[in-house]
Amino acid sequence: MKSYVTRTGLFLLLAVSSAQAADDAGEVEFFEKKIRPILSGNCYSCHAADTKVAGGLRVDDLNGLLVGGDNGPAIVKGDPGKSLLLQRICQTDAKRRMPRDSDPLTAEQIADLTQWIATGAAWPVVGVPFSIGRERADYQELRKTHWAWQPLTKPSAPQVAASSWPVGDVDRFILAKLESAKLEPVKDASPEVLLRRITFDLTGLPPSPAEIADFLKDSSLAAYEKVVDRLLASSAFGERWGRHWLDVARYGESTGPSRNIPYPFAYKYKDYVLDAVNRDLPFDRFIREQIAGDLLPAADNAERDRLLTATGFLALGVKDVNQRFKVRFQMDNVDEQIDTVSRSVLGLTVSCARCHDHKFDPIPATDYYSLAGIFTSTDDKAGVRNKMGGNGLDYYDPAMLVKLSHEVAPPPPEKVAELQARVDEAKKAWDAIRGTPEGLKRAANGQPTQRPFRLKYERLQAEFQQLSDPVSQGYAVHGVTDSPTVADTQLRIRGEAENLGPVVPRGFLTVFDVPGSPSINPGQSGRLELAEWLTNAENPLAPRVAVNRIWLHLFGQGLVSTVDNFGIKGDVPTHPELLDYLANDFIAGGWSTKKLVRELVLTHAYRLGSEAPQDHVDQDPANRLIWRHSPRRMDAEEVRDAILAASGDLQLTPPAEAAVKELRMVEMRDNGREAAGIQNKSNTALHRSIYLPLLRGVIPRALEAFDPVTQTLVTGQRDATTVPTQALFMLNSEFVRNEALASAKRIRTEGGSTAQNAITQVYLKALGRAPSGDEVKRALDFIDAYQSDDFALADNESGQQSEEASTEIAATADGAAANPDDVPRDDQTAREGKVIADDSQTGAWMAFVQSVFASAEFRFIR
Amino acid sequence: MNFQNRFSRRSVLRSASSGFGYLALAGLLGKEAAAGVDLNPLLPKPPKFVAKAKRVIFIFMEGAMSGVDTIDYKAELQKNDGKTAPGGGKLVASKFGFKQYGESGTWFSELLPNIASHADKLCWLRGLHTDTPAHPQAVVQLHTGSANAALTRPSMGSWMLYGLGTENQDLPGYITINPSPNFGGAVNYGSAFLPAHFQGTKITDQGFLPNLKASAVAAQQRRQLDLIQSMNRDLSATPGAPDPVDGIIASYELGFRMQDKVPALLDISKEPESVKEAYGIKDGPDGAFARQCLMARRLSEAGVRFVEICQPGWDHHNNLHKGLIERTGNVDQATGALLADLHQRGLLDDTLVLFGSEFGRQPTAQGQDGRDHNITGYSMFMAGAGVKKGFTYGGTDELGIKAVEGQMHTNDLHATILALLGLNHEELTYRYAGRDFRLTDVAGKVATDIFA
Repeated sequence: MKSYVTRTGLFLLLAVSSAQAADDAGEVEFFEKKIRPILSGNCYSCHAADTKVAGGLRVDDLNGLLVGGDNGPAIVKGDPGKSLLLQRICQTDAKRRMPRDSDPLTAEQIADLTQWIATGAAWPVVGVPFSIGRERADYQELRKTHWAWQPLTKPSAPQVAASSWPVGDVDRFILAKLESAKLEPVKDASPEVLLRRITFDLTGLPPSPAEIADFLKDSSLAAYEKVVDRLLASSAFGERWGRHWLDVARYGESTGPSRNIPYPFAYKYKDYVLDAVNRDLPFDRFIREQIAGDLLPAADNAERDRLLTATGFLALGVKDVNQRFKVRFQMDNVDEQIDTVSRSVLGLTVSCARCHDHKFDPIPATDYYSLAGIFTSTDDKAGVRNKMGGNGLDYYDPAMLVKLSHEVAPPPPEKVAELQARVDEAKKAWDAIRGTPEGLKRAANGQPTQRPFRLKYERLQAEFQQLSDPVSQGYAVHGVTDSPTVADTQLRIRGEAENLGPVVPRGFLTVFDVPGSPSINPGQSGRLELAEWLTNAENPLAPRVAVNRIWLHLFGQGLVSTVDNFGIKGDVPTHPELLDYLANDFIAGGWSTKKLVRELVLTHAYRLGSEAPQDHVDQDPANRLIWRHSPRRMDAEEVRDAILAASGDLQLTPPAEAAVKELRMVEMRDNGREAAGIQNKSNTALHRSIYLPLLRGVIPRALEAFDPVTQTLVTGQRDATTVPTQALFMLNSEFVRNEALASAKRIRTEGGSTAQNAITQVYLKALGRAPSGDEVKRALDFIDAYQSDDFALADNESGQQSEEASTEIAATADGAAANPDDVPRDDQTAREGKVIADDSQTGAWMAFVQSVFASAEFRFIR
Repeated sequence: MNFQNRFSRRSVLRSASSGFGYLALAGLLGKEAAAGVDLNPLLPKPPKFVAKAKRVIFIFMEGAMSGVDTIDYKAELQKNDGKTAPGGGKLVASKFGFKQYGESGTWFSELLPNIASHADKLCWLRGLHTDTPAHPQAVVQLHTGSANAALTRPSMGSWMLYGLGTENQDLPGYITINPSPNFGGAVNYGSAFLPAHFQGTKITDQGFLPNLKASAVAAQQRRQLDLIQSMNRDLSATPGAPDPVDGIIASYELGFRMQDKVPALLDISKEPESVKEAYGIKDGPDGAFARQCLMARRLSEAGVRFVEICQPGWDHHNNLHKGLIERTGNVDQATGALLADLHQRGLLDDTLVLFGSEFGRQPTAQGQDGRDHNITGYSMFMAGAGVKKGFTYGGTDELGIKAVEGQMHTNDLHATILALLGLNHEELTYRYAGRDFRLTDVAGKVATDIFA
């Protein structure tokens, strides 16, 4: 029975459905007495959730039987003649008969099964817990009272006593709080500090010595404004602020656990994000494109491709491709999408309501499944399919990629003919040996002799397919499109994918009202309307969450400190009026990120110094009232980029090719050849960190030490821990030493001037300021002493850890192991080179530059 | 260093916390650090209740070792070779001979004579079951409690570090040697949403740790470090310096010292020949597991809270007979030697050893010479701190298909391990995304019957 309900009427209908179920009591009893024992006694060892699902079929679940396995439905209700299950049980050919390797079922058992199917295949109904669907009084109360989901207020800026301090309303909101706490803001930051701060905050890069000199000549507010506009217009802005969104979008270039399959076209989504941020695409539009780009009108093919690429946001999540059950694979991916969308845009943990009503926030499970229906009506075209225990290209499904509009030129006919001949030949050889005693005999490696024949045939087949496939030539993206079958979905009892409750109509959250939001077009998935609901100006959460994140990236902490959770368990805003003021301002400014960033960095509050008078610290240790500018540690990308910029090695142009592009959609091990190759590319790359390959679980070495983002989780704010591995990275890593050496060499060849000038250049490039006289003296003393130490260089050979090892593994990569899951353990990523200067003078300069990189001052933006 | 201001000292302690070096850092920070238990997440913390186990060695048999051929003797299976199994399939008796060992009379197959010699030290969990008969999810679930890929959870070692801090402050508190490069990979020793300093440190059986090798001779690097620290102290003395600067100063001293200490600890070459012989240390891939066992003893002895070592290659869908002979050949001697060594050094008194796979294998045949996965009933053993000796808890049916008594789900196993360390699995929580997470999620029953 399928019950179809409105959400408020759910409770009533549940009662009806259980009454109807009682009528089937006799048939259910027959099932329990006769049928279940047959299934569990003869079939479960190969066709049940606890064992495996041979042929894709499970018989411990009614839906499993109805949907069936690879050969179609196992039973058809009321029609034993069409039921594959009976056909296979009654087979006279013992090889094809089920249960395999066992005695056939008795005539009585077959008769019982036939009767059971003929009478409609009754199956016990799972009870729906009563709490689900009931309108809860506590929810009504929470909807009315919790600050975050009330409509935006329109606060006006408060009066302040020190009327000359503010440069705008934002400052007035801040100053008013400070004045009522009797705290005075500290002095403004020095020009050097301010320039370094604004340059890193907007671009993730340090100011150049020339930019520093310019600003020191004129550090007026007008000059500062010019700097701000220059930075906002630079492509480096998108490279930093695009990264902030990628953190939130849990961006990763592979499926992650449990079998790590690369997403070779993921970088196109990344490029889309960077481009959108640099073009200052309105944020509401940005969200709409990522959730429903495929459903938006496009003027031409280029725009269509851009919009399709945007939906990578939904598709590029963590996916458990090893999942046996398609329905679980789908519902897990849907859950991942709901979690990502709700936390990234709304700061709400909606996926808590997958198994039960949300424990804290007024999000009933029915809300969750009203959203789930939108995503089950969507094809998740990440290019992967689920399969248990697969290998090679098993997980790759080119049909499940979004193809771009590009026309692919037909391949040269002679090449087609040549390859076709080779395929035919390989097929002939494979057919000849397949299943013969000779073919099944074990070869020296323990494998059947026929195996190489099959592999060769498959490889050539794949090559042939690749010749003309637009996907394999790169004209594809991971994204989503509407599914051919659009439908509401059922509530799942306790979140179990197979455990179907009543159907819930597609819709949005009931936690707050969004007046004027459209209802779902029944002919589409509903993503378009969801996107409009999310970014409707009447939706109070999306703009609050967005401006709070912008605030975080400029002031070091959010006005709401829990940037990804605005629910009951989240923090309350320190400046609620300011938050709403900014949200209104953001909407009024056309959801322009650049405008809001510009407004904020021009405030007096942003330009404060970072000194910390004791009485201020005592009263407000965490600087929640913003009496100073809180220093922040560079994030991992900034550390790497700043080192490259200071050494002079940084290449500002993006790489011509993304490293992941060359990977096939085949499982990648943490320690294998592909991972080693990717690590190697990261290690030698000189462009900005945003362009490094970011496969889940294969973190570039140069980013690893400084709390890189967890690519599996929505992350609005990074950690900033201090651990000795960072010290070891600064002291010993190939990357830091390479760049210190490059810098030392440049100074000595380009410098031509005095050692003092060279030291000044290092300070300017790395720390954004000139050294004091004492600092110059300390540096000169160090270089002299280091040079004259004349130590024997640390043992040389240690750095050359077997580079040749990679070929060894490559030889076994083609499945020589008996089992695809038995993979070699040699860690091909476990090697590092040594960096040594040619002479002791360069060595001393190198050690000096490295020390500056390693200093705490380098890694803090004050 | 300037400790005038209380707020900044607190944040130093908080920010400088790490898998490494905490007491040493406390020493550097001065006398007040002794009172720092509530300030610093990695100082050793007293367990919630009195516990014997202070640390864990997990010997992971990745790929699912066949129990009925090694550690789960099933007389009925041996009698019913070739018959149809309940649930379908053809029963296959083990081709290996079994006999009983010790006063406990524990059955072992001829493949594991060395482990068998410790029969009376072992505590068997024979009613284990888990949720997913596929390696990737089951391995991830065994390590993190959950197979839900969409929300990765912290690994059990991270939870232990989070709950108990670390004993040796010059070492990572959680080390995993040669972990699975697939099956979830780094997830299995990751800290997920727990702070990064609780994550496991991965090393190879050659002791490789990135950036650990000093880039210059010690005196020369010390000179460089002096310059760095001089710059850092200047910054620290600046009004309004970032709070973590003092932590950074301390972390450099620790890192510098670790360059000596950690490689020395991981270097097994200087162990006496008799010890190397006992473990069966040899070069090459065949010696990898023995090296891991010896490293595990050294690391545990040095106070590493959680050490995991790994022998892959048990996934015998085919080639069961020869495969088991090869695998047990790698594992038996070294595991036996490790148990003996821990016992002899008194380490078994406060170290808990756990041995087993992500799930078991069927008593029925798969193809000519194989067995398929079994998640409904399989065994692991524990030894050492806090558990009964020569004791068996739970069991499968007479054929070894399904756990019928003393059933323990993976969550129950985790709850029990935490309890042995003095931690209540229901109280060891961490707030993330608006809710309190646990290793055992919303389940987990402690098997108190096994407590000594």
